[in-house]
Amino acid sequence: MLKKRLIPVLLLQNGLLVRSELFKIHQIIGNPVHEVERFNQWNVDELVYLDITRGDKYDLRREDHKIKGLATPEAILDAVSRNCFMPLTWGGRIRSVEDMRRCINHGADKISINTSAVRTPELITAGAKAFGSQAIVVSIDVRAEGGSAREVFIDGGRESTGLDPVEWAIEAEKRGAGEILLQVIGRDGTGSGYDTGLIRDMSSAVRIPLVACSGVAMFEDYADGIKAGASAVAAANIWHFKELTDRAGKRAMARAGIDVRL
Amino acid sequence: MSIQYCSKCVYPGVSATPLTFDDSGVCSGCRVNEMKSSIDWDRRWKMLQKITDEYRSDTNYDIVIPVSGGKDSYYQTHVAIHELGLKPLLVTYHGNNYLPEGEYNLFRMREVFDCDHIIVRPGVDTLIKMNRLGFKLQGDMNWHAHCGIFTVPIQVAVRYKVPLMMWGEHGFLDLGGMYSLNDFVEFTAKFRLEHALRGYDWHDFTDEGLEKLGRPELKEGLSAKDLMWGQYPTDDEIDAVGVRGIYLGNFVNWDANQHSRLVVEKYGWRPAAQPFERTYRMFSNLDDMHENGIHDYLKFIKFGYGRGTDHSCKDIRSGKMTRAEGIEMVRKYDHVKPRRDLERWLKYVGIPEDEFDAVCDTFRDPRVWRMENGKWVKDNIWGEASEYGNVHKDACGPGCRK
Ligand SMILES: [Zn+2]
Repeated sequence: MLKKRLIPVLLLQNGLLVRSELFKIHQIIGNPVHEVERFNQWNVDELVYLDITRGDKYDLRREDHKIKGLATPEAILDAVSRNCFMPLTWGGRIRSVEDMRRCINHGADKISINTSAVRTPELITAGAKAFGSQAIVVSIDVRAEGGSAREVFIDGGRESTGLDPVEWAIEAEKRGAGEILLQVIGRDGTGSGYDTGLIRDMSSAVRIPLVACSGVAMFEDYADGIKAGASAVAAANIWHFKELTDRAGKRAMARAGIDVRL
Repeated sequence: MSIQYCSKCVYPGVSATPLTFDDSGVCSGCRVNEMKSSIDWDRRWKMLQKITDEYRSDTNYDIVIPVSGGKDSYYQTHVAIHELGLKPLLVTYHGNNYLPEGEYNLFRMREVFDCDHIIVRPGVDTLIKMNRLGFKLQGDMNWHAHCGIFTVPIQVAVRYKVPLMMWGEHGFLDLGGMYSLNDFVEFTAKFRLEHALRGYDWHDFTDEGLEKLGRPELKEGLSAKDLMWGQYPTDDEIDAVGVRGIYLGNFVNWDANQHSRLVVEKYGWRPAAQPFERTYRMFSNLDDMHENGIHDYLKFIKFGYGRGTDHSCKDIRSGKMTRAEGIEMVRKYDHVKPRRDLERWLKYVGIPEDEFDAVCDTFRDPRVWRMENGKWVKDNIWGEASEYGNVHKDACGPGCRK
């Protein structure tokens, strides 16, 4: 059996890494290159980088900082991929096969699409044809609050789609997606644990790997995601809050009886 | 591009502490501060007790506390010994520039708390060189202090095999709201390197490092052996002992004004004897006589604000001051070029004032500063632009209208 993966998700906003809460509150955590250098030292399995910038302002300048002047998403991707020796998924602002090609040429191994996958589902197939299914990750943001029905949201959680998350995952797989990245808006940055019910429903409905995200507060939470059926568990914020988070996270998974690369 | 200011406190969007604004124009620092009133602090205290209980030792120190001798250090040590019943090892990085009051407070910790205290004092020549290098390389003469403060305690924790460190308040969480209080953020090497040290590490300051940075003209003859106090332990060394650094600010409702009262009354802690030139507060940064003056002036040079802003933000948030009163403090203190402090520092490092001004100008943030008729001009929080002295740097950069 394949080892289970543990994946950090880095969120890029206007050129800087941010901590995210409910897809709404964003606090600046640091610059996009340092964190990747740190993950290399830790020997992290894989990395997902999502550009959640709205508008076109990229600015991480501090005149007295050693890392200066990365003013475009391409410059940032270049600097990240130069320093990144693990498989890199890049997402955000990708609307065409051309956008995908540009990211791959700048060092991404996989492409993650979300809003554009819903708006133009043919893009999944076109991307899979051009770069192979394994390179196309469909990222799904779900609202599942209270008693209301689960629904797929796009555009950074702002636009409702009426789509059922599980049905949408099945369609994405049919159209050629190689992997699903699942995020749950109401759990983002809250430390309330994974939505294991949704992970269970979605992972049993598709054959492609499901990467679970949103809600991790403690390293012990990772095992819940795997036990609910995810092939890989991801988290964003916790990677910024504690030291040696890769080995600590994997040790917690191993303690729970999960096969990980230690 | 004009600078955005918080609508609640007086923080600018271009600042040394990364902060963001929400839809109502309130900064992340204010928002995180507001959270304090809705937190169940009793539950947090129990969490802290549980953590520290796990680390209690029969044969070793229970905890390492990094201390400067300031009011926060006294408070942390008070909590550790008298409220948690721990046996701490106090650790200090001493950068050779304590105010006499600060040094009095520092040395008395061993007596008033009856505990062991390790003070690491680098050689003075090395420190003078590091002052010059820090200033010229990245506009901060106190770079060495940030490095020492965030390195020496973990070196000691690793060497003495004490797995738990307890820091005080997380400065970036408190000032800028960089993290939520629900994150229970802990000390990390990444925070040290990227934020406290702005991406530079000790090896950048050796002759070899400066060569690599393309700044060989700055060489001061420093080698790795001069900077051992700045060398961070490896991941494996840290992992072998299991060192982690928690922040007391995540577990107690931190109120600096209240803590200073407590440590003055209980332990005879002394505030500054003489007023500072760039702030109205008397109880911060006594561990470095240049911190409230010349070091903070550099922040004004870089970002256009200083301690007047920092300290009034804290007092606005804790309800001691209105925003309008805060703006008056900003007007009064932020721009002041400190004479007493500047002259003392220039003598310490042997740099003439015109060279100082020219180097300063290389660090002005173009989002804040513009040049008009050979003067530096910036827009202010009270809605006017003002002039702040002559342009000194020789080369006139882009946007220059001289
Ligand atoms: Zn504010």
